[in-house]
Amino acid sequence: MVRSLVSMGIVTLLLVCCAVYESNFVHRQFEEFGIVLDVLYEKVDDQTATQDDVYAVQKNWLDKKQYLHIFIPHNEIKEFDLWIAEAVTLVRDKEWKDAISKIEVLKELSEQIPKTFMISWENIL
Amino acid sequence: MIVTFIRTLIIFVTLVVVMRLMGKRQIGEMQPFEFIVTLIVADLACVPMADVSIPLTYGIVAILALFLLHQLLSFLEQSSDFFKHVISGRPSVVINKYGVDLKELKKNNMGLDDLIESMRNSGYFSFDDLDYAIFESNGQLSALENPARAEKPASVPVLIVNNGKAMKKNIALLHSDERSVAQFIKNQGGSVKNTEVMTVDGNGRTYLKIKNKKFFITKFALAEETKW
Repeated sequence: MVRSLVSMGIVTLLLVCCAVYESNFVHRQFEEFGIVLDVLYEKVDDQTATQDDVYAVQKNWLDKKQYLHIFIPHNEIKEFDLWIAEAVTLVRDKEWKDAISKIEVLKELSEQIPKTFMISWENIL
Repeated sequence: MIVTFIRTLIIFVTLVVVMRLMGKRQIGEMQPFEFIVTLIVADLACVPMADVSIPLTYGIVAILALFLLHQLLSFLEQSSDFFKHVISGRPSVVINKYGVDLKELKKNNMGLDDLIESMRNSGYFSFDDLDYAIFESNGQLSALENPARAEKPASVPVLIVNNGKAMKKNIALLHSDERSVAQFIKNQGGSVKNTEVMTVDGNGRTYLKIKNKKFFITKFALAEETKW
């Protein structure tokens, strides 16, 4: 009986702590990435962005994704990889209109993914 | 993570309710919630292992959630009789001194055929071989043998009337017909409709249980060529 209660307590504590950490971690990572994307968005909008700017965003993402793999389905991570790679080429070729739409998709994904970790009916059902 | 936990919880509770509603025939040896844990754990472990697009944490959290629920239900079961009955159900006495209890069988979504099968698995072939038969909450049959039970049955009894319905194929084994069976039951003070169970063995030894009456053993006159 005591062993049962102790194991239940430990597992509950572990799950609660991990859930809180996961939620905070994912939100923080995407919030930071969203800020980086905002800066790039403005530069692309002003048509002053360079390929190095997009590479910097890509590097930022690569650093973050190492840890995000623990919590996020890998297919969603792959989507970021692909959109960023496209943005790199488009900025290099100065195709601003297409580049901005790619960055908008990235911004939208950065906003939506953390929401899938919130306790809400649409996530549970 | 918390979403995975809540989803696992919902699936688990749904399965426990469904398994309890399905009755005892769906379980073997395990309590309903233990059966569910076994059922889900295998899949939970396999999916993240086989599908590399799913983080392993998803599987681990779901398995830990199941462990927690299992421990919680075990704890509740041990701490109160009320929870024990709600979670695992009660044993059902399906044969008592009055004979086969069809209502109790029905409560567990079972029929006479299921009872006969479980009895045969335990080495009993006739309903009057047992004074009591109990389906435990884990689905196993426990039996208290009738001390007057015949050492070796002459032949396997066949079901002639099952809950008010005459079994045509089995009646043909007796080289008889529905009318003769109906007449036989009438002579015993009943009718086919209100007969819950009637079995006859190769010697004509008949187990008859009429609704709201205690069962009795009588003799059905078999034709000479009757053998099985």
